[in-house]
Amino acid sequence: MNFKQICIFCLLSSTAIAGGCVSLGVKPWQRDVMAREDMRLDANPLDAAIDDHMYFSKEASSGGRSFAGGGCGCN
Amino acid sequence: MQLELETRLAKAAHMRRQLMAASCALLGAAAARGQEARMAPADSGLLEDWSVDSALAYYHEDGRIQAIEPVVNIAKLFADGQALNFNVTFDSLTGSSPNGALTSRSAQTFASPSGKSAHAYTTAPGQLPVDPNYQDDRIAVGGTWALPVTRVDQLSVGAKLSDEHDFFSVTVDASIAHDFNEKNTTLSFGISEEFDSLQPIGGAPVPGSDYALFEKTGHKTKNGVGALLGVTQVITRNWLFEFNLSVDRFKGYLNDPYKITSIIDSAGNTTGYEFESRPDQRTRKSAYWENRVALGGQISTGLSLRYMRDDWGVRSDTAQLHLHWSFSNRDRYVEPTFRWYRQTAASFYTPFILSTEAPTTAYEASDSRLGAFHALTYGLKYAQKLPGLGGREESEFSVRVEYYQQTFNVRTATPAALQGLDLYPGLKAVLVQVGWRF
Repeated sequence: MNFKQICIFCLLSSTAIAGGCVSLGVKPWQRDVMAREDMRLDANPLDAAIDDHMYFSKEASSGGRSFAGGGCGCN
Repeated sequence: MQLELETRLAKAAHMRRQLMAASCALLGAAAARGQEARMAPADSGLLEDWSVDSALAYYHEDGRIQAIEPVVNIAKLFADGQALNFNVTFDSLTGSSPNGALTSRSAQTFASPSGKSAHAYTTAPGQLPVDPNYQDDRIAVGGTWALPVTRVDQLSVGAKLSDEHDFFSVTVDASIAHDFNEKNTTLSFGISEEFDSLQPIGGAPVPGSDYALFEKTGHKTKNGVGALLGVTQVITRNWLFEFNLSVDRFKGYLNDPYKITSIIDSAGNTTGYEFESRPDQRTRKSAYWENRVALGGQISTGLSLRYMRDDWGVRSDTAQLHLHWSFSNRDRYVEPTFRWYRQTAASFYTPFILSTEAPTTAYEASDSRLGAFHALTYGLKYAQKLPGLGGREESEFSVRVEYYQQTFNVRTATPAALQGLDLYPGLKAVLVQVGWRF
């Protein structure tokens, strides 16, 4: 699957999700589980930053979760 | 009586934590990313109302580099919804770094990047050529300011400076996020710009030039611009995901100024070296999908997938899975992690240049980071809640260990004389990190 196909797949998926948004999600009073710290997408930002720096300096890929720039002369 | 009082105070503190977390969750899916939900609300004192997240990491490669990296992040959430975040990172690296040359059956002597003979080093036969005098220190500072524009829109701007003795980088970024569907859905869009200045020791080599001729120029620059489009969606009470599409484009001097490529004859003897020569621009595109799923009251899991490709011919796939298991009334948790990564080689990657081939001005680089390999990471983290400092309710101490291993996928035909040598030794590394936040 090339990048164009992946983008089309994602676009269609996003459209389906957006179209289905009225039935997706929870009410404000149902957010007890989402309130847990372990359910946060960046529950451990320093861990992620240290890992990203390690991978940036050893691999050809970076970013995805956030911007790809490294600000480091290590790669 | 004292015990009963302590128990009641502990219960009250726990309830306050729960109420604060629930209040923050009402901010919606946007709060799922960013520091806001963990920040202590502003009340009084200079640093009393700032949350502090700190870590000290030690990284050790088998026979190569070792690094110590302290990181501190402070953040504050204001009553009007604005949030400030500052961070400082320091890296100190020492050890041996591969210079890109191929392992040989003969001893090889190299000059240090400065060209001073006093800094020459010799690699024994059968050993991977590494510069044993590698040393680098880096300091990076960054900040982010997030401010609500409307009840459902948030603007965020940030900047980062990074300084090494031979490299200086400035990055600025801005993004806007919009909540809808009762804040179950957040769309975000951001752009970033990076300006890098390279001042390699001894000067920047002319790409593709003969190592022996020492053709070097002054300082070089490279600039990058990136964009990221993302959606965060709460699916059910137990399932949240984020999906990002991103693209970035870098232009300028994209070579590693310290990497060379061996030139060998058909018998496998090294006849010379030349500096690597990469294209002067690169465009990368990636798709990233991350999920958080709660599997009951004590356990949750995170799964992320990333696909990336660039116009250098590199394609990569990444999958990462972690399990978060809380116990002792959520005062402790353990978190095992597994990551799988693979990449194809850049189209101009070559572990060596055959001298029998016609001279070419094409791009070439032997930097193993542009080769084809796969990598595995195994990690384990343990965290423990502790009593807070000053007016804070609690703090958290954590320790984390990771083991990283790269294995090369070799498809290059090698001269018979070099067979039996470990030309692609891969990489093994250990990361140990302690963290403290309050």
